[in-house]
Amino acid sequence: MRLGFNFTLGDTYDTVQRLLAEGRIDYCEFLIDNFFCVDPDELAKAFDCPIGLHIMYSKFLEADRSTLVEFAARLKDYIDALNPIYVSDHILRFSHEGRAFFHLGEIDYAAEYGLVRDKVVEWQEIVGQRIHFENYPSIMDGGLEAPAFFERLMKETGAGVLFDASNAVCAHRNCGTPFEAWRNVIAKAQHFHVAGYRQSLIEPFISLDTHAEALAPDTLAFLENFRSVFDKPGATMTYERDDQIEFDAIVADLKALRDLFGQPEERRHDLALTA
Amino acid sequence: MTLLSLPSRTDRDLYPALMSPQMNAKYPADHKAFVRIDVSLRIYWHTLFDICPELLELSGPDGMSIFRPFMAWAEEKKLAFDWSYYLWVYVWLRQSPFKERLLADEKYLRSIMAASAARWAILDRGRSRGIVIGCADTADLVIGWKCRNVRLGREIELIEPEEPLPTPPDLFGYFTLPSFELDIFPGWQSLAR
Repeated sequence: MRLGFNFTLGDTYDTVQRLLAEGRIDYCEFLIDNFFCVDPDELAKAFDCPIGLHIMYSKFLEADRSTLVEFAARLKDYIDALNPIYVSDHILRFSHEGRAFFHLGEIDYAAEYGLVRDKVVEWQEIVGQRIHFENYPSIMDGGLEAPAFFERLMKETGAGVLFDASNAVCAHRNCGTPFEAWRNVIAKAQHFHVAGYRQSLIEPFISLDTHAEALAPDTLAFLENFRSVFDKPGATMTYERDDQIEFDAIVADLKALRDLFGQPEERRHDLALTA
Repeated sequence: MTLLSLPSRTDRDLYPALMSPQMNAKYPADHKAFVRIDVSLRIYWHTLFDICPELLELSGPDGMSIFRPFMAWAEEKKLAFDWSYYLWVYVWLRQSPFKERLLADEKYLRSIMAASAARWAILDRGRSRGIVIGCADTADLVIGWKCRNVRLGREIELIEPEEPLPTPPDLFGYFTLPSFELDIFPGWQSLAR
């Protein structure tokens, strides 16, 4: 399992460089549309490591085709320059009746499957490559239908799943989605996310994906219990941290992941060659 | 947990309430749906007051004397809550009981214009590099620049032009910049709702 760190804006540039220099991570994931005004060649030179591209605001379920074509044209410049390990996106609702959510919405997996499938097919065709779609940290009971939805989506569209392990933990805590229900999705997924979560401020408590806390014990237990399903040749796991950027705390979490998954094959090979 | 007559199985069932304090009040406080809507509403609150904490001087520390009536007004006007979110708060404040105190100190306007410029720079995915925001209440301009370098974030500038631009026809106006230079004035665009 290769470990990575998410790079969302320039203020964590030095953190990522240090994590790479110390061998804490093996690749970096750009939140790519945050950097659409940075020259692709400059971005390609930013870090001496493999790169993943994570899309935040394509809004592909809501945007019209011409908007998506324009977005994809810009994205392709970065795909060409960076030759990413993967390209990923979100299945989310950004607005309702033209009014923007500030806490993004989960789709209705049963009622919207056909629409989402068609949009996924269209979006992959426009971008010209396979896209890995991230699962949502479900709160309401509709989240029980997410594992079957993603399994079917992969089968019928050829899309991948960017499986966010801590989002699945939130869904388990909030609506009881069993970890076991995700087994087939995890087995087919190559790329993963993991992060901390926190509780809501009022009761009945719900768990919220925040990217600002240490990895929770139940997240680590989930990874450990499914370690052999997660780990596979070419697999990546991005540790996401967008707030409370404390280097030692990040290193502690990355060390826990390294202890769990071991050094990736590529790194062991590199070490063997240089030994 | 109280049984709920309103649909609440999926997140989608709650979409209309996610930006409505009035609708949240229809859900029993001990239900998960109430908490999920509360989480959403808190983000609208924090997006406003964490970025423009000066506004709490007007409202009091919980911000609710601004937040609740503004959100109700925004619902009535069907505001899109795009990058101009903060500018619409100013529009509302200007016709609220806070008007006199708001206009007595330009720091509120500067904070609000900077917040909206920053939000544009964060959210906009078009090819424009920057946005210039003007207001009929000031000759100053605020510019928001998108991330231009891998080591930088977004940048916000307050400009006091030697030769003021024409006053926007509405309270606020804006135009976008195709490069990282303020070298054009194509005229003011009005805010979309």
